[in-house]
Amino acid sequence: MRAEAKIISFFSPLLLLVLWEVLARAGLVDIRIFSCPSRIIETFLPVLFSGELLYHTWVSVRRIILGFLAGAIPGVLLGLSMGLFPLVRAALEPMVAITFPIPKLAVMPMIILVFGLGEASKVFTVAIGVFYLVLVNTVAGVLSIDRIYLDVAKNFGASRWNFYRTVALPGALPMIFAGLKLGMGTALILIVAAELTAAQAGLGDWIWRAYDMFDIERMFTSLIMLTVLGYLFANALDLLERWVIPWKSPHA
Amino acid sequence: MEVAARLIGEHAQARGKAKVQPNGEAIVLTGISKTFTGRSGTVVALEDVNLTIYEGEFLCIVGPSGCGKTTLLRILAGLEKPTSGRVEIRVREPGKPVNSMVFQEQSIFPWYTVKENVAYGLAMRGVPRARREEIAEHYLKITGLSKFANAYPHQLSGGMKQRVSVARAFANDPSILLMDEPFGSLDEQTRVILQQELLRIWEGTRKTAVFITHSIDEALGLGDRVLVMTARPGRVKAILEVDLPRPRDLTLIRSRPRFLELFDTIWFYLREEVMKAKAGEIQS
Repeated sequence: MRAEAKIISFFSPLLLLVLWEVLARAGLVDIRIFSCPSRIIETFLPVLFSGELLYHTWVSVRRIILGFLAGAIPGVLLGLSMGLFPLVRAALEPMVAITFPIPKLAVMPMIILVFGLGEASKVFTVAIGVFYLVLVNTVAGVLSIDRIYLDVAKNFGASRWNFYRTVALPGALPMIFAGLKLGMGTALILIVAAELTAAQAGLGDWIWRAYDMFDIERMFTSLIMLTVLGYLFANALDLLERWVIPWKSPHA
Repeated sequence: MEVAARLIGEHAQARGKAKVQPNGEAIVLTGISKTFTGRSGTVVALEDVNLTIYEGEFLCIVGPSGCGKTTLLRILAGLEKPTSGRVEIRVREPGKPVNSMVFQEQSIFPWYTVKENVAYGLAMRGVPRARREEIAEHYLKITGLSKFANAYPHQLSGGMKQRVSVARAFANDPSILLMDEPFGSLDEQTRVILQQELLRIWEGTRKTAVFITHSIDEALGLGDRVLVMTARPGRVKAILEVDLPRPRDLTLIRSRPRFLELFDTIWFYLREEVMKAKAGEIQS
């Protein structure tokens, strides 16, 4: 049964691609708008091997990683303090609650006004999206730590620093990772959006230029790279999680 | 009836005291009261508790549910402050922590391995790594956990987790061991095995121990003295000396006439309080 499921999962996407190709060749799918797999591959391989696509991918990856770090690190630190200190939480929670639901894309013009059209505005757009998700999850993570562990730390004479190091941080890590994973998904959305509007390079910019020239196949090559990026980032975070949280039960 | 019970109680208390006194006082509680103020009003958990715990004794505390046993232990541990009264820690052993607690619920850190959990107190006290590994390994060995030294808690059964918790407290080598119904949530077979192991380890160290339980059987099997608490608000109803020889075998000791006698006496005190606690539950 499991082997069967695996075989089905492997062939179903391939079947869809074949169907797409067949329908396109039969003239049932308009290739001027939807293109077809064979044409996309024909365009994809040259831009991949020339390094052109890889350059634009690297530009986006760099922005994503910088933005991700710039958002996640303050998110974790502030989240830990908000989780640990009720007074810090009381002071900051209203601001977070009010600004969290604002779609980050809505403030992009503002970000461009402040940071200009260069790299900083792209990195900041990613950072702000990641920041909120990591912050909110870290706070929830610290608050979800069972009180008993605080009693244990106190009973065994943990210092203030050891209290954070041995209880708060490890206790919140599973939730922090949930935040990081959500943040990564958001980072991909935001970087493409940021590059669509105002960029000289990057995968979003690539899509926009291809659209300008009505080069559908070229648009698809960027989508392929974004799919690969999403897959790689998700796996990298899973690996990191398994390494940082070796105690996590496979059932939990 | 109640007067009679009180008389026997005081008599038992006096007798218990006289016997254990030579060992010196570890903790003296005077007039301890604890009041909790919550949304639904004020609850008096403890009222005027006076108690002396002697060095090297194993004191068991029994009482009906909700009588403040856990609160009393948390006050002894310094995790809770009494509303009034005095806690005097008389025992001072330089270089040793005053107390270590074995908690009722699952309390070993899920993010640490079994060995790291056992060494936790030592690490917090800044004992060098090599030394604390050595100590942890010793306690893993005597609690039969050596094979699981590098396992994480989620891989262990409930009984194993409580074993780790007991090892963690012993490894910290405190002057006083505090145990809050450590085996309460375990199945009968596991409980008996762990009680026997605790006895064996304790009889090897003779550390001052305070052990909370709702089982008279457990209290008599383990303790040198048994303190019976009243229904809420918790007070000392009676203290009985358990004059059963050590080292004890828990399966054999249960059939001794003296064990049955003591069991009846404790049940005599406890039954009244359990009835009161039940009546209180129905009222509220």
